[in-house]
Amino acid sequence: MKNVRLPLLALSLIAGALVAGIVPAAAHHSYSMFDMNKKVVLDATVTRFKWQNPHAFIEADVAVRGQTEHWAIEMTSPNNLVQAGWKRTSLKPGDRVKIHVHPLRNGSRGGSYAGIVLADGSKLGEVD
Amino acid sequence: MTGSPKWRRTLLAAAAAGTVFASGAAMAQAGAEGAPEGEGASYPKGHYGELDALPDWGGIWFLGRRPPAQAAPPPPPLKGDYLSRLEQWRAEAAANDGVVRRTRSNCSPPGMPRIMQLAQYPYEFLFTPGRVTINQEAWMQTRTIWTDGRGHPKDPDPTFMGHSIGHWEGDTLVVDTVAILEELEFAGGALHSPEFRVTERIGLSEENPDILVNHLRMEDPQALAEPYEVTVTYRRDRENTLLEFQCSENDRNPVNEDGETQFD
Repeated sequence: MKNVRLPLLALSLIAGALVAGIVPAAAHHSYSMFDMNKKVVLDATVTRFKWQNPHAFIEADVAVRGQTEHWAIEMTSPNNLVQAGWKRTSLKPGDRVKIHVHPLRNGSRGGSYAGIVLADGSKLGEVD
Repeated sequence: MTGSPKWRRTLLAAAAAGTVFASGAAMAQAGAEGAPEGEGASYPKGHYGELDALPDWGGIWFLGRRPPAQAAPPPPPLKGDYLSRLEQWRAEAAANDGVVRRTRSNCSPPGMPRIMQLAQYPYEFLFTPGRVTINQEAWMQTRTIWTDGRGHPKDPDPTFMGHSIGHWEGDTLVVDTVAILEELEFAGGALHSPEFRVTERIGLSEENPDILVNHLRMEDPQALAEPYEVTVTYRRDRENTLLEFQCSENDRNPVNEDGETQFD
């Protein structure tokens, strides 16, 4: 699916990058490895949730046409996630969730977090 | 915000009254390289009460987002070899899908002045007698700004953060920074000479006391055709604190031999 709207995170990154330079470059590293204009939704089972700087991470098994793929999803910093309602305990292994991500450009099974629908149906980030 | 009347009033008032907060400022002439003997930041006892006169910068601060409609600031007005280098950098990025090659680990911080323009990771500002300390969560970076009246060392070691001295003009902290490492870009593709100097004027917004404004003015007679000015804002959060940042413990973005950031 195509979604040209940028999530809040991307906007904040670009805002910071425009202050600092010409080509968008994020705080800890460039986001050019991700296709920020594209969004995919992963039907995922969490295998690991890492709550640590520089970036929180979600690792998950994702159901794709009857197969299981293992994905790694990079998030923003924990402190930035706190601003958006996240906690260290928001996710745990085994949680069934839908994760909205900007996928890697190179086609590998990874992406940049945009939003999530948690197991209890609550939503964080951009999930439209 | 930029050029608000309060900023001008504060600066004018400070200039008129010769307002100086730092307790050791009057003795600045003693000890050119360090704090005045027997005074200054190394002798804080008896000066903690004076800190209460300083503005309230409590809490942590996140870089403000630029409104989507607002135009980006122009690139720095470089000249000579510095301009040629920037043009080459732009051409390389354009030919490489906008990807800029990194020459250092992503665990290496940007140094001044980009450290003051970081999205995602918040700041805190700590006041102790004779100095202001700025902590940036990313890479657990610390800036020290000496406000005890000392000057810059005669031959300072170039460093990521440079050497900073500051003073208060009313509620505005004015910071002068020199000796920033030459190899650090101060904007995308923009390098500077050893004469690079950054002046910051940091103070609360008159419209909103939960917004801190930093006007950065960069000067360099070798690299810049004219001073380059950037204004950034920070948004206050009084409920949270800085978090630990141990880059090597969670570095999933190594840089390969082509300077490309990987996703591990």
